[in-house]
Amino acid sequence: MGTAVTLVKDSVPATRKARSAAPVTKGRRGRRENLAGYLFMSPWIAGFLLLTAGPMVASLYFAFTDYNLFNSPKWVGFDNFTAMFDDPRWRKSVEVTAKYVVIGTPLKLLLALGVALLLAQSRRGQAFYRAAFYAPSLIGASVSIGFVWRSLFSDGAVVDRTQSFLGFHVGGWVGNADWVLYCLVALTVWQFGAPMVIFLAGLKQVPRELYEAAEMDGAGPFRRFWSITLPMISPVLFFNVLLETIHSFQIFGSAYVVSNTYCGPADATLVYTCYLYQKGFKDAQMGFAAAMAWMLLLAVALVTAVLFWSQKKWVHYEEDAR
Amino acid sequence: MGTGTNVERRTVLKAAGVSAVTLGLAATACGGNGGTSADGTVTIRYSWWGAEERAKKINQSIALFEKKYPKIKVKTDFQTYQSFWEKFQTQAAGGNPPDVFQNAVGFLRKYDRRGILLDLNSQVKAGNLSLDHFRAGVTKVGEVDGKQLGVPVGSNTMALVIDKKVFEKAGVDPATGWTWDDYFKALKTIHDKTKVPGDTGYFAIMYLYDLYLRQNGKAFFTEDGLGFDKSDLTEWWTDGYGRVKAGIVTDPKVVAQDQPKSSLSAGHGASEFTWDNFTVRYSAEGSSTYGLAPIPTMNGKDTGQYLASLMLSASAHTAHPKEAAQFIDFMVHDPAVGQIMGYDRGILASTEQYAAFKPTDTVSKEIAQYEDTTAKSGVLGTITPHPSGADTVEAAFLRIGGDLGQGKTKVTDAVKQFFTESEAAFQA
Repeated sequence: MGTAVTLVKDSVPATRKARSAAPVTKGRRGRRENLAGYLFMSPWIAGFLLLTAGPMVASLYFAFTDYNLFNSPKWVGFDNFTAMFDDPRWRKSVEVTAKYVVIGTPLKLLLALGVALLLAQSRRGQAFYRAAFYAPSLIGASVSIGFVWRSLFSDGAVVDRTQSFLGFHVGGWVGNADWVLYCLVALTVWQFGAPMVIFLAGLKQVPRELYEAAEMDGAGPFRRFWSITLPMISPVLFFNVLLETIHSFQIFGSAYVVSNTYCGPADATLVYTCYLYQKGFKDAQMGFAAAMAWMLLLAVALVTAVLFWSQKKWVHYEEDAR
Repeated sequence: MGTGTNVERRTVLKAAGVSAVTLGLAATACGGNGGTSADGTVTIRYSWWGAEERAKKINQSIALFEKKYPKIKVKTDFQTYQSFWEKFQTQAAGGNPPDVFQNAVGFLRKYDRRGILLDLNSQVKAGNLSLDHFRAGVTKVGEVDGKQLGVPVGSNTMALVIDKKVFEKAGVDPATGWTWDDYFKALKTIHDKTKVPGDTGYFAIMYLYDLYLRQNGKAFFTEDGLGFDKSDLTEWWTDGYGRVKAGIVTDPKVVAQDQPKSSLSAGHGASEFTWDNFTVRYSAEGSSTYGLAPIPTMNGKDTGQYLASLMLSASAHTAHPKEAAQFIDFMVHDPAVGQIMGYDRGILASTEQYAAFKPTDTVSKEIAQYEDTTAKSGVLGTITPHPSGADTVEAAFLRIGGDLGQGKTKVTDAVKQFFTESEAAFQA
């Protein structure tokens, strides 16, 4: 303990002293420290190897096999991958997922940004509003919300009645193949809390003086948003776009629950992961399902790469002049 | 510095200990112990599909079993039909299916081919299980290629469940031997007079189409494939879709929303084809009065019906085949179990249980009477073969047929899709 106190009091020489003393025991001690570190991590490492890395390698192998869970896998080369493109339900699942990502993600981010802009200004009860808007993100992933959604969007329920009152007679969305996907979109948009919090943090970082200068130059609110806020938060925006897009591709729970496990009607909510699940665990075509999983990984990687590439066109990182 | 090294060594050892314990725990959780404890008590696992009500009855029956066999403990779990088979498939693939489980004819060949089902004949020979005292030939349902893969607990047959109040209001009285024309006219009358669609979607029910095909000298399955061609199904589904559009069959949009409830019990349809023992379900779910009506015919007589059944099967991987067989024997033969279970899984299959249960409620009485009348009218035939993959084909038929009514696909495309998926299912 005595040494520790001197370390704090007189840190620079002490560090030097420690450094000069180090070479004597560094090799053995360092190795021992590393070993202790790895051993402490070992439950996690074991979990990672057994539950994540191992299964991933296995699934990569299964992707090239015909495997029904019971027989030993039979090597079929790229057959699973080519079979996908001939499968109308696979194409449908790609279409449904793409639609969900393309419609849902921008809407969600727009709403998140809009609300974040409102909440960024200081006003009374700010903490309450933030918490209130964030709440759906906390409970949104739960199955129970799926059930609530299912009943909200049924015949004669709130949404149907409100619509009818406004003169649109659609009926319940849940049973309607043309509308049910928007029910899922509404669910994800409603959970805008997480990106909103990130936007809020980004907005707080924008230096006040920039706005003051712009105001002096006579820039209106829209101009200030377009020329200052947006470029300044573009890294945060990029982060949110990336995260939400990847997240959207993986939609499963809400589609599964809202459609009462069928991902219907008429495959209207047959999102990619849902079809993957049906192929693997209902039809026992595990090889095909594994191939689908790797295809999804490739697609997400590709979209991510494109987003990263597009970064230099629209994301502005502040030059660190200091 | 000396102490420092010691502390570190101890830390290393502690960390090693922690991870060893973690891994050890994981290993125990995965490994299991075959279900035998030190005092010789054997634990077997029993799973089934069904509703809460069935679970209550089964747990009461198990209490009786454990009293009679104090050295055998039964661990249970249950799911809905779909989830049950998803879970079962995964468990079976992992070599860890339940020791005893509920089974149906559509799954016998599939899991026999995969080596999951115990041939119970060996246990019959060993005297742990009796196949005597069953009602007329019902044990045949559990037989595949000379192997006894399941023992029936109850028999059932396809029936038309009707909303009696709506039928009365419309003045429709289904008579034995009525024809399809009579039936479709009745649907129209019901819709005209009560605004309720007459049926909830007959054309997507595989077991009904099977009866229709049997009336026409065909059947849904052959030993290794489909027993009908694309033009047969195109006609069946085209007519069905036409009736949805005409409003006499429930709009699939409504059916999708009513799930998991049936549209019949939700009051959105006046009749539904299903297994006769399911009447119990409608009475529990819905507020109207439900009854059973005869299957429509082509020629005024033949309905194409046969007795199917729910069974109990044992796993070929079980460490306790003897105890599993004793449990099955008790569950299918013990009169007290029969009194508890009633007709929940069909008309009790063994004569002991059949004699022990005297139905007192209207629903059970009606089921008993329905099967009695059906048997006496001499229409019951041999069961249609169920090739491996029959279960997947049934699900595809229900999904594709049901979706057809949404008007999103052309009938010819739907038929093509169904044939493609069936082919894959038979080969899987």
